[in-house]
Amino acid sequence: MTTTLRPEDRTWTAALKDRLSRALPPDQILPDRQPAYVTSWIYVFGVVTLAALVVVVASGCVLAAGGSIWWHTSSLGHFTNSVHLWSVEVFFFAMVVHLWGKFWMAAWRGHRGLTWLTGVVAFVASIGTAFTGYLSQANFDSQWISGEAKDGINSIGVGAWFNVLNGSQMLTWHIVLLPLAVGVIVVLHVLMVRRHGVVPPIGDEDREASR
Amino acid sequence: MGIALAAGKYLSWGVLSMSVTNACIIALMVLVFVLALLIPFPSGNDRHRTDPPPPPERPAP
Repeated sequence: MTTTLRPEDRTWTAALKDRLSRALPPDQILPDRQPAYVTSWIYVFGVVTLAALVVVVASGCVLAAGGSIWWHTSSLGHFTNSVHLWSVEVFFFAMVVHLWGKFWMAAWRGHRGLTWLTGVVAFVASIGTAFTGYLSQANFDSQWISGEAKDGINSIGVGAWFNVLNGSQMLTWHIVLLPLAVGVIVVLHVLMVRRHGVVPPIGDEDREASR
Repeated sequence: MGIALAAGKYLSWGVLSMSVTNACIIALMVLVFVLALLIPFPSGNDRHRTDPPPPPERPAP
C-alpha cells in the first residue's frame, strides 16, 4: 500500500534531501566528462591550489600534534615545518595564477558570481590564516612580526579583540577558526564550480556543456 | 649582525618597498601565467575524457 504525504506532513529531512538533490545533481557534482576547452594549462592551477591545501592541512595537523618544541628541535620536526611552509608557498603561488586566469577570462560570467565571490573570500581568509601562522612559529621571527603588526591592527581599532601579541589566541585562530572557515568556503567554491561548470574562455560560450 | 644580513635587499619606490625575493616571486608568477597560456596542453589521455572540439568552420560556398 502506498501513501501520499500531504505537503504539511513532509519532514524537514525529506525537504532537505529534495533541495540538495535539486541543487547538487549527482551527474554535475561528479562528472565523467569535461568540455574540450579545459585542456589548457591555465585550467590546472585551481586543482594545484587544492592539492597544496591538502598538504598544508596534513602537515599542519602533524605540527599541531608535535608542538613547537618538537618542530624547533628535531630533524623530523624541521622537515615537517618545511613541508608546511613550502606547501603554503605553492598554495599561494598557484592560487594567485588561478586568480589572474579567472580574472582575465571574467569567470563570473554565466551566473558564476557567487563562485567568484567565494574564491575572493577564500583568498582573503587564506591570507589571514597565513598571517596567524607566521605569528604561531614560536620564534624570534613571530615575535618580530607580532610586534610590528600590533600597530597596524590597533590602527584599525580591533586590537582588543584580535591581539597579535597573544600567542595562544593567534594559534587558535590559525589551527581552528581560520582553517575551518577556509575549508568550508573552499568546499562551497568547488561545489559551485561543479554546479555551474568550468567557465569557458571568452567567446567560447557556445561550447559550454548545457546545464 | 647575522639577522641584519639575513634581512635581504629591498627595492624602494617612494613610500613603497619590496624585497628582491618577493619581486622575483611575482616575476616568476607572471612568467608561469604567460607560459600557461602559451604552452599547449598534452592530449591523448583517455582517462580524462573531454568533449570533442567543434569541427572547423567551412567557408560558405
